[in-house]
Amino acid sequence: MAKTYDFLFKLLLIGDSGVGKTCVLFRFSEDAFNSTFISTIGIDFKIRTIELDGKKIKLQIWDTAGQERFRTITTAYYRGAMGIMLVYDITNEKSFDNIKKWIRNIEEHASADVEKMILGNKCDMEDRRTVTKERGEQLAIEYGIKFMETSAKASVNVEEAFITLARDIKGKMDKKMESSPNPRNQGVKVVDTQSKKSSGFSWKCNIL
Amino acid sequence: MAALDDISTQRRDPPDGEEDKSLQDLLNAEGKNIKSLVCQRCQCKVLRPNLGQHVQKELFLPHMKKKSEQQGAMDGETLKEFWVVDDMYTFENVGFTNTVNDIKYLICADCEVGPIGWHDLSKKKEFYIALDRVHHI
Repeated sequence: MAKTYDFLFKLLLIGDSGVGKTCVLFRFSEDAFNSTFISTIGIDFKIRTIELDGKKIKLQIWDTAGQERFRTITTAYYRGAMGIMLVYDITNEKSFDNIKKWIRNIEEHASADVEKMILGNKCDMEDRRTVTKERGEQLAIEYGIKFMETSAKASVNVEEAFITLARDIKGKMDKKMESSPNPRNQGVKVVDTQSKKSSGFSWKCNIL
Repeated sequence: MAALDDISTQRRDPPDGEEDKSLQDLLNAEGKNIKSLVCQRCQCKVLRPNLGQHVQKELFLPHMKKKSEQQGAMDGETLKEFWVVDDMYTFENVGFTNTVNDIKYLICADCEVGPIGWHDLSKKKEFYIALDRVHHI
């Protein structure tokens, strides 16, 4: 069957345990519902479809699912990742400090050109905030990456964050394709679904 | 996930009693789904029209809701009517559970209700959604 999308982006959520990564990925909907069965076995990843500049983009979003506790986040986990959300909890100072450690971990194990974004998440109440928004912004400037505060519980900025990250990945890919007419595979899968009615082929798929 | 859905899907509330008619009303001549598949609970779009192939197959799925205090997590039912796709990225929005005995169960990406479907890791090109566990609109 012809592909139903133009781009496929693999995204990861990274950060300390308990910062609400699961919120960011798994609680877009405030009235999330887990049957006994689903909550027992847990969720591995999600596929979501968005549209950017008329292109259909599939996002495959992975959570570390507690692996960070055992410091087992290594090359295997990062393989093929094109975007990483670095998540901390605005009520948890330690999780904010550890963003720097996570960035070092990414530099060590992930592809050098992976797009990153920092998310200050507030699953808890604003009155328990210990990390100001300014400090989050400052950290992001220091590393030259984007920053947003999100409230997964109220769905504030969560969607925007994913769209922003996807847009940055796409922008980087568009640029690469402009500068090099024949780019090599860099963990990036491009599927061209442009219909070529004039030729004998109705669908042409390119894996760059 | 309102914004993403606003872009990729159009949520429509099915008129009461209008959705989920007989099987024949859901199939086109090739046995594909005429209608979109959406979550029964939150209307999140799972699959666009004409992308799923209807198949009859017996698969056991645990219940979506706990029906009684005595019910165990693995209690469920055998279902027979499914839509199948050969590539997981054909789905508009869907979640995959961790693997249990080589099986990954499919759930709603937004509200996480499920299992709505089934994937056997040994059959790389078969992803099933149970007709009874989604709405068709």
